[in-house]
Amino acid sequence: MVRRLLALTSGRIAAVILALIALLALLGPLLSPQDPLAGSADILADPGPHHWLGTDYLGRDVLSRLLAGSRLSVLGALQVTVMALLVGVIPGILSVYLGRAFEWVTLRLADTLIALPFLVFAVAVTALLGNGIPQAMLTVGIMVSPLFFRVSRAATLSVARSQYVEAAIIAGASVGWIVRRHVWTKVLPPIAIALAHTAGVGFVVVSSLTFLGIGVRPPAPTWGGILASDLGFLSYRPWAPLLPTALIMATVWACNLLADAIRDVSGEAGRALLDNRKLRGRLAVAGRGA
Amino acid sequence: MSGAGLGTARLRRAAARTASVAARSIAIFVPVFLVATFVTFALRSLSGLSPAHLQLGESATPESLARIEHEWGLDRPFLTQYLDWFGKVLSGDLGTSWYNGADISRLLTEGAVISLSVAGLALLIGVVFGFGFGILAALRRTTWVDRVITGAMTFISVMPSFVVGIALVAVFAVSLDWLPSAGWVPAERGFGLWLAHITLPAIALSFDTVSDVARQLRAGLVAAYRENYVTGALVRGLGPRRIFFRHVLRNGIGPALTVLGLKFPNLLGGAVVTEAVFGMPGFGQFAAASAQRGDVPAVQGVLVVSIVLVVVFNLLVNLILARLTPASARGV
Repeated sequence: MVRRLLALTSGRIAAVILALIALLALLGPLLSPQDPLAGSADILADPGPHHWLGTDYLGRDVLSRLLAGSRLSVLGALQVTVMALLVGVIPGILSVYLGRAFEWVTLRLADTLIALPFLVFAVAVTALLGNGIPQAMLTVGIMVSPLFFRVSRAATLSVARSQYVEAAIIAGASVGWIVRRHVWTKVLPPIAIALAHTAGVGFVVVSSLTFLGIGVRPPAPTWGGILASDLGFLSYRPWAPLLPTALIMATVWACNLLADAIRDVSGEAGRALLDNRKLRGRLAVAGRGA
Repeated sequence: MSGAGLGTARLRRAAARTASVAARSIAIFVPVFLVATFVTFALRSLSGLSPAHLQLGESATPESLARIEHEWGLDRPFLTQYLDWFGKVLSGDLGTSWYNGADISRLLTEGAVISLSVAGLALLIGVVFGFGFGILAALRRTTWVDRVITGAMTFISVMPSFVVGIALVAVFAVSLDWLPSAGWVPAERGFGLWLAHITLPAIALSFDTVSDVARQLRAGLVAAYRENYVTGALVRGLGPRRIFFRHVLRNGIGPALTVLGLKFPNLLGGAVVTEAVFGMPGFGQFAAASAQRGDVPAVQGVLVVSIVLVVVFNLLVNLILARLTPASARGV
């Protein structure tokens, strides 16, 4: 699947952007030309040979802050995705097998979570339950997990009640073989699409929270925090928000592009998830059964 | 005579359908409301915060802490507190703020007026432009118009609302100086002034809705145009206008309306961020400020109000959807 994904132009673009962002997150803090926390007398400077992207209102080097902040954003998006995956997929698969009561409860919980404005909840939970981006991201992960719940549930349902699986059982296939041959090929593509989509949401949430200054202590460099401080000095440096903005947008766009590319290469299984957009809409509006 | 009889029969059937959709939606939303409010209430116990921290700060002794917790009724069993709180919530009383002892319902109403006027305008922009672009792209499908619109919608869909907000401030407030960059003026002090202050935040908030509604509507309409009943209508010699309104729009609008229903929580969430960009003392700012102060009852009030707003809005969308496309009421 990875090879087919990279054969697609959109898949390649997404992969390159995401790889660059990942590299930034890994090496960013090391690459910083200057201390991202050290102020200087040279405040609100224009870009120049000494400060490539200029300095902020405390004379701190913007490029260094941008690089140093990348790790938090990437980690945050990863936390959202992993949490949503764990909280969503396992009950999603179990809801098909563990009987009606469990099914009803998990469906109602999924309806509840998807109906809530998760940014408001993330703000509330982060501030009240200990001040940290990780807590916020885990909360957001739980709140977007219904996407994974629905996707894995739909995929499991389609596999569990399909005749070819029954046929394979009758033919004496082992459970492991059925899972590898039938279940994974159905379940993995939708989950991969949901993963890419959720990572994009994660980036938006991290930057929104750091923009509000929730979950971070002031001197710490974050993409959202840089934007927030730029906002106060727009009349001096109106171009200043461009680069952090471009970084956030490119990352989110790459995630969406990746999701579309996976959908394109996964054929039937991916197209089944195409309907999942409708499904997502419907479950939020009513959740009229699966 | 018979025509009138037919009319009332149809009316009665429509009313029955609406009632059944309403009943089913309420059956789904009651558990949603109960679970969500319970989680909201449990936040205080989970957070371990108490009004004593706000009032006494570092100087809290165990005795004074216990005294204040007793005053606020926080030493009662969890379930008693919950039932007491929930009963008051049902009657519209959200308690008093730990921070300044003010009535939270009143504070929230003041903030909600601001946020809802912004969200309302954003919704209006989202509906007008979302539907406009979606319909235009579908009517001119596979032409350059369609491609430009689709490209633009993809572009704006990846812009978080605070990013749009900052861009709007940089261009329209700072560089061009057309509109104010921040603040809020009540409508009583002049409609024009009020509109000028909420325009930029509403545009910032609406981008996400515009792009999603446009893309869903385009997809829905294009799919409907491929249906056999459209070919059939063409063959019968019906005009393009009639085909569009009677056959295509009604059948293709479902996903777009559903997404519109989904967008409401986003508008509330977006309010937290856009209000920070534009310095508006609304619901979102109140939420962020109370959360940072550790004012638990205020945060709980915010959450309860947003839960209620979301539930009511979804209920409305369900009813509209059932009215427009009867198939959606069957749960297909």
